[in-house]
Amino acid sequence: MDNKNEQDLRFLQLRFIGKILAGFTHEIKNHLAIVKESAGLMGDMIKMGKTAENESQYLEIIQSIEEQIERALVHFTYLNRFSHRMDTSLSTFNINESIEELTALLHRFANQKRIRIEKDFQKDLNPINSNPSMLQFLVFNFLEEAIAKLDKNSRIVVKTEVMNGSVAIRVIPEGNVLESDAEKVLCPPEITDYVIKMLNGNISRQGEGAVITLPVKAA
Amino acid sequence: MSANIEPKDSIKQKVIGLLHNLFHPHDYFHVLGADRYTSLKIRIILLDAILSLVPLIIVITISYFWFQKILKDDFSHQLRWEIENTKQSIEFFLDERLSGLRFLSSAYTYEQLSDQKTLAGIFSKFKREVGGLVDIGVIDSNGIQRSYVGPYPLEGKSYANQDWFNEIIVRSSYVSDVFMGYRKIPHFAIAVKRDIPEKGTFWILRATIDMETLKKYPSRINLRKNDDAFIVNREGILQTPSRFQGNILEKFQQCTLPQEEIAVTEVREPADRQSMCGYAYINNSPWILVAVIKSTPYGKIPKIFRNELFILSVISIFIGIAVTVVMTQTVVNRIHKSDQEREEAIAKTEHASKLASVGRLAAGVAHEINNPLAIINEKAGLMKDILETSDDLQKNKEKFLVLINGIFESVNRCRTITHRLLGFSRRMDISHDTIDVNDAIKEVVEFLEKEMLYRNIRLEMNLQPGLPKVETDKGQLQQVFLNIINNAIDAVEEGGLIAISSGVRDEKMVRVSIRDDGSGIPREKLKYIFEPFYTTKEKGKGTGLGLSISFGIMQRLGGTILVESEISKGTTFFVEIPMKAGAV
Amino acid sequence: MSHTKILLVDDEVEFVSALAERLELRNYEVKTASNALEALGLIHGYLPDVIVLDLRIPGMDGIETLKTIKKYDPAIEVIMLTGHGDSQSVEEGMKSGAFEYIMKPVDIGELTSKIDKAKRKREKG
Repeated sequence: MDNKNEQDLRFLQLRFIGKILAGFTHEIKNHLAIVKESAGLMGDMIKMGKTAENESQYLEIIQSIEEQIERALVHFTYLNRFSHRMDTSLSTFNINESIEELTALLHRFANQKRIRIEKDFQKDLNPINSNPSMLQFLVFNFLEEAIAKLDKNSRIVVKTEVMNGSVAIRVIPEGNVLESDAEKVLCPPEITDYVIKMLNGNISRQGEGAVITLPVKAA
Repeated sequence: MSANIEPKDSIKQKVIGLLHNLFHPHDYFHVLGADRYTSLKIRIILLDAILSLVPLIIVITISYFWFQKILKDDFSHQLRWEIENTKQSIEFFLDERLSGLRFLSSAYTYEQLSDQKTLAGIFSKFKREVGGLVDIGVIDSNGIQRSYVGPYPLEGKSYANQDWFNEIIVRSSYVSDVFMGYRKIPHFAIAVKRDIPEKGTFWILRATIDMETLKKYPSRINLRKNDDAFIVNREGILQTPSRFQGNILEKFQQCTLPQEEIAVTEVREPADRQSMCGYAYINNSPWILVAVIKSTPYGKIPKIFRNELFILSVISIFIGIAVTVVMTQTVVNRIHKSDQEREEAIAKTEHASKLASVGRLAAGVAHEINNPLAIINEKAGLMKDILETSDDLQKNKEKFLVLINGIFESVNRCRTITHRLLGFSRRMDISHDTIDVNDAIKEVVEFLEKEMLYRNIRLEMNLQPGLPKVETDKGQLQQVFLNIINNAIDAVEEGGLIAISSGVRDEKMVRVSIRDDGSGIPREKLKYIFEPFYTTKEKGKGTGLGLSISFGIMQRLGGTILVESEISKGTTFFVEIPMKAGAV
Repeated sequence: MSHTKILLVDDEVEFVSALAERLELRNYEVKTASNALEALGLIHGYLPDVIVLDLRIPGMDGIETLKTIKKYDPAIEVIMLTGHGDSQSVEEGMKSGAFEYIMKPVDIGELTSKIDKAKRKREKG
């Protein structure tokens, strides 16, 4: 029944956002930690009286601090864009951008099991008119599933391409599937079916991965 | 002025209240214990059926009696007409014979008719023309029968003492009652008086007529099985035989004789059914024509009519109910749907606002964090500049340390800001955090302590120490506790009691019970408290969504909520939490 | 070229002091103000060439301050300091007469090149 699907979807969406926010926060904390450590190191070095000969070292440290700041900022941009995608349920957006944002925000999450998420985007993919946050939700769902099922040090390829007038987004896990976790389903298929129906698209499972197809409307 | 308005207002309010109760499913009437929409349907259908049946029955009843009355009236008119006809026939009959006698008395003289032979001759001719005559006689002014032709030996008889004789002296013609004179068989006599002006006397010509001819007249009236028609005299003595009322010369008991010339009355005898009596005074005679009608053919007709009416009404009632059922289904289903839509819309709005707050929070964090990051950047940049432009680091040692300190401070600032984000994100995720249920309860209670203190509510906590930790979402669980305890606070009065206890139900579930000693919830309503929009609070207080949302949360967490209640004893809610996280 | 006189307006003291020092190391003359009032007060005496203004300072709105400065002396060039996602304010600022904008955290090289451009424009008249 749609009502139940709607309720469950809301719940799962909030869970999804919560995960993203948590991941992001940890990411930032990480960068900040490095900054702190670097600054601390410099402080120690100075206190210990190391001077001129360590000039290059200092410069390196400072460089790293600046780098960390920049990366933190990049993440903020991602988060900002991610949050804004939820503002409307229909908008024209760039699929590659939205998936890149998603994978960047999930980077830490995947990294816990040392799983790499690689992007294989078709360049110059035209913007489409659809529900960006729902698309991200779907991709997240399959990514999360893959991450849960795969063994350590595996990788997942996220590929976008145009196929027969539609856009296809593939989530291709590559690696061993842990037997014990093979049956884990975190988001029931009724919900993904419900969402893809909303988007007028299609989902087909391929092995442990999935292909999401969306129609391309005139942008 | 207000004294005038109030009573009216309260009546109006009562009516509105009644209608409201009738159509709002969750108040008083729960019919057949069905869910409130079905119960509403049943109530509407019953109400409608009653409202349409009652007038229908009234109309049918009125029609029936009206119809019956018409038929009866018709019948009564019919009877009256027949009686009138018969009366006229009898009168004509009498008239004919009286005219005959008058003719004879004027055509012949007293002397002639006193002669036996002449009288016999005339009589036989007369008899031939006018039927029913038995005998004829001439009576002088002293009442002595001078001549007589007939089967009985009545010559010389004196009628001087008889009533009729005295009566005919006054009147010039006379019709007698039926009597059993000398002859012991019933007959009646007619007579005419002839004055002899020269002599100053008179004579009477008298004839008797047999009953048979009279008898046939009443029988002309259309009589059915239990009906009776006969002739009586003014004293009620039967002149013709009747079927049920007695024989000739017996007294007619039944009805009191009316005053009008012709009348049809209804008689209600205790032993009998209704019967109709028709009367007609027969002119120039002492007689009254009576018809006692016990059959009620007008009763039969409605029976036939009744059959058709019955079928018609059954069909129309059936159609009426069918239409009502269909319409009620449509309307109540629409209400149900619209309630669901409302529920859905509220949930949607709540969700949208949650999403909006995420957006705002994220934006806020991004906004605020810019500054500390910019600071770190600048300070690091400055350090770089100093390193690049200055040769002697020593001089700037202090400076550097200060700058580095500044960086630390900024990092901390960032931390605080992002911490908020983390806290928020935790609340949104169903964290498989293992939590201590007792702690969760205590936090919620802390939050509500002031309220309970203010209302003088006693709180008893009986939390099992060493309660196993559970894998669930703390935030949502606390939302459920908050909702239930809040309800408990609303339910108890000043000085009431709320008792919270926790324990293990079995190896899978932890159970928390929240008991209050408020007024309790009636059994019939217990089934419905987890339904959305169900509230016992006044209009405007509480949306009625709290418990239904809590129930949904517990369901999602793999647990449930149970309730027990007893009127004026209190209510207990049991929240059951699975120790291992359940899937969605 | 004479020293370019810069007025930095930003309520974040730590940031502003570090930035000021960096600019001074690059031979700019720098004064700082932490709010609109202070800034407006300084302009009269200090006569800056370029003002670097944070749009989100408390008190008077950044845009309002910008407009007031331009009204006071249209020759003063203003470079707006913005955070990420402030595109609306940037647009409004540019319409209200700002010369350029730069995002926080700043790239020092980018900032100095913008300041120089602003000074050149000012000198051309």
